[in-house]
Amino acid sequence: MRDTLYLALRYLAFHRVKTAILVAAITLIVFLPVGLRVIVNQSSQQLTARAEATPLVIGAKGSPTELTLNTLYFSSDVPARTTHAAAAEVTETGLAHAIPMYVRFRVRDRPIVGTTLEYFEFRGLRIVEGRQLAILGEAVLGSRAAKRLGVGPGDYVISSPESVFDIAGVYPLRMPVVGVLEFSDSADDDAVFVDVKTAWVIEGLGHGHQDLSRPEAAAGVLRREGNVVVGNASVMQFNEITPDNIDSFHFHGELSDFPLTAVIAVPPDQRSSALLQGRYQSAGLSQIVNPTEVMDELLDTILTVEKFVIAGAVTVGLATLATTFLVFALSLRLRSRERETLFKIGGSRTAVATVMTSEIVVVLAAGVLLALCLTFLTQRYGDVIIRALIR
Amino acid sequence: MSSRMKSAVVTLACAIAACGGPAPETEADGGAEAQVESDAVVVFTTNYPLAYFAKRIGGERVRVEFPAPAGIDPAYWSPSPEDVAAYQEADVVLLNGAGYEGWVAKTSLPDSKLVNTSAGFEDMYIVSEEAVVHTHGPAGEHEHENLAFTTWLDPVLAIEQARAIRDALAAQLPGAEADLQEGFAALETDLTEIDARLGAWAADHAGQPLLASHPVYQYLARRYDLNLRSVHFEPDEVPTTGGWRDLAARLENHTAEWMLWEATPLAETRELLASEYGVGSFVFDPCGNRPESGDYISVMRANVESLEALPAI
Amino acid sequence: MIRIEDLRFRYGEGDFQLRIPELAVESGTTTAFIGPSGSGKTTLLNLIAGIIRPEKGRVETRGVEVSGLSDEERRRFRITTVGLVFQEFELLEYLTVLDNILLPYRIHSALTLDSSVRERARSLAERVGISDKLDRHPRRLSQGERQRVAVCRAVLTDPPLLLTDEPTGNLDPVNRERVLDILFDYVEDSGTTLVSVTHDHEILTRFGRVMDFRDFHAFGEAGSGAAGGAS
Repeated sequence: MRDTLYLALRYLAFHRVKTAILVAAITLIVFLPVGLRVIVNQSSQQLTARAEATPLVIGAKGSPTELTLNTLYFSSDVPARTTHAAAAEVTETGLAHAIPMYVRFRVRDRPIVGTTLEYFEFRGLRIVEGRQLAILGEAVLGSRAAKRLGVGPGDYVISSPESVFDIAGVYPLRMPVVGVLEFSDSADDDAVFVDVKTAWVIEGLGHGHQDLSRPEAAAGVLRREGNVVVGNASVMQFNEITPDNIDSFHFHGELSDFPLTAVIAVPPDQRSSALLQGRYQSAGLSQIVNPTEVMDELLDTILTVEKFVIAGAVTVGLATLATTFLVFALSLRLRSRERETLFKIGGSRTAVATVMTSEIVVVLAAGVLLALCLTFLTQRYGDVIIRALIR
Repeated sequence: MSSRMKSAVVTLACAIAACGGPAPETEADGGAEAQVESDAVVVFTTNYPLAYFAKRIGGERVRVEFPAPAGIDPAYWSPSPEDVAAYQEADVVLLNGAGYEGWVAKTSLPDSKLVNTSAGFEDMYIVSEEAVVHTHGPAGEHEHENLAFTTWLDPVLAIEQARAIRDALAAQLPGAEADLQEGFAALETDLTEIDARLGAWAADHAGQPLLASHPVYQYLARRYDLNLRSVHFEPDEVPTTGGWRDLAARLENHTAEWMLWEATPLAETRELLASEYGVGSFVFDPCGNRPESGDYISVMRANVESLEALPAI
Repeated sequence: MIRIEDLRFRYGEGDFQLRIPELAVESGTTTAFIGPSGSGKTTLLNLIAGIIRPEKGRVETRGVEVSGLSDEERRRFRITTVGLVFQEFELLEYLTVLDNILLPYRIHSALTLDSSVRERARSLAERVGISDKLDRHPRRLSQGERQRVAVCRAVLTDPPLLLTDEPTGNLDPVNRERVLDILFDYVEDSGTTLVSVTHDHEILTRFGRVMDFRDFHAFGEAGSGAAGGAS
């Protein structure tokens, strides 16, 4: 048996390109449908789990999927804006806690999640390094975001401009990183968390500048009209909030008019949930969505697509398998002389067949093994892949 | 923005308070009282009056913290990240509202724990005459509207704030309504008494022109219909030439003989005021921060007594 | 060594029929089978080796009647008793020279590959002048080198009988002489019986005995008489 295997392996090693192609073919035949299943299973579990952990999401009328994906996974498709008043409305009903969400800006490819401290409590996110957000302009990072951006407490992250042509006032804001969250195996690991007010500063709704009524700012003053001091463009826009300039930071307009992408509503019980949903059923500017329902719909779509893809993969797989066996068959024929020689010098015909069977078995086993490894990797890192796809 | 109360001064009011009415809570601001139960509701406040009210109402059931250092005006305080972290751990954070604690908008506090004690009378906020409107950049004109925020100097509003505190504590302490009401009622009695004495004084001095060293008495003036105008004098600084000029301009059509100070002014200022302008000085402490001695009620009583000591017109 | 009596063999229903009334090869001798193509030389070699079985008659080698053995017994007989060298060498392209030489030990359970076998393989390789090429694959060898590898493989088991089928048919004159030298040196040293099919008349002088297959009347006629021979 050892000799048989030796000969088989020598043959495979000698024809390494052919062997590699065959193994790759077998791997794909097995992995395509199996890996896809694993991915779909995992994504459905993930999507469902996070959706179930997020009772209700309120946002401006528009795509419920967009609203849900942005609120749960911080996807870059930003839903229509609602206002901070929407959060107050929820609180006023007394039916649920409201957690404002403003997920619009990014630090490179990491989403900036503007929210309140209640979000951390709601998701059970704990600080493992540094401290919680305290002062306007600070950022707390998810574990993976910290790793990918290569920063920790004491470092800085800078918000990215939304586009190169964005001259309307979304100044990049340099934010000190004050804390890093514990790994939670969720989208939160990828996020840069800031106070929702900081997100508004990034948007330009709150800003700091020199106090124009002070003498040292005289160069920035165009004219004074009674109480009105008109500043010119040289008035310095701070791109970082520091202890020195925080006193000059202020918000323009009513906070209740300030934008949010969503409000997460956390009702204490089913009844409150039903009552709250009822309030938003009638026409209005807001919509209330149940993330579980949205995700179920999304999953139905995914499953339908999956069926087609798996059917395709199986068909291709069968064709590939047929080709593979054709290759084996041709190889056997090409090696008839070798078989004859082995037989002549004393090998049994079955022994020769065993050598060739071993080769096929080794190739099949290697292919299947490789496919299993890939499946395992998919299982292990599938969440990363899925989140990359959702983003 | 300079503090209007740069130092805590031993005020006349406090000196007089020694013979004032007995204060039920000598340690009313809570501080770090050892005897407080560990399961007490932790209440953080943004000024001293709220801390005092909360302790009066909650008693032993609450641990009241007001971490701003002594000697500063809490309205212009910027808490450190550590202070903010302490606020984040509170069960209830009592805010004065009316734009008092500007720092709250620049920090991260859990919304659900914030209680704006003046939310019930937002329609009664006074817009300060000092509002600054400025324009710059492409965003165009915007206004920094300044609200007057020493709401508690109107005892009626102070009672409303106390009521809001009572309700907020009741939400945290189910079953303690009766005790909380008891504490509130006693406080209400004290504040009502102060209101009555101020009202009586105002009735006797209707229309008398008065000056305030700083514009901090808007709610007091409105409540009692005081004929009060403000300058910008600091108790611990001799006014500049410009300051004296402003005063002279004020006095031209507002012939006040007395100026209310947040804290005892420098002797030089006081003498110059009296000799050059015929304006006498007395302290009416808004008591935004913890007094060096006495408590909120004793300080307010001292304020009233200072007024009552003024010669009749 | 080899004794054949009244041998008849026919491939399927074809015209070709080999008849050998009687033939004997003594131990330690060298014999060449010559004759035109299709005269049955290779067929006889295969019959002696037990690769194919006669229709009729006896093939006895070293006192064993090969034609009476089962398939399994004949394979065992081949691997232990017979060394085979083919005109086309029949090396396995995917094995190194050393593995090709060792091949008999890998395809039959009767033989166990141990270090002494490897040692023998190496010394044989050295003897035929290919010891520096043991790690190469056959396609990187010359024709002559390949046949030398084939000879090593054939004699690795130290068989008493060496059957070679046109061993020099694909070689140029220089290599032909070299391979023949190796073969005959080995046979002489080991006392192995050599039976070789060839149509190369130039090499016949090396053999102790030459059998001409024209004498076997292989084409359908009833054969008669023993093989003639001349030295």
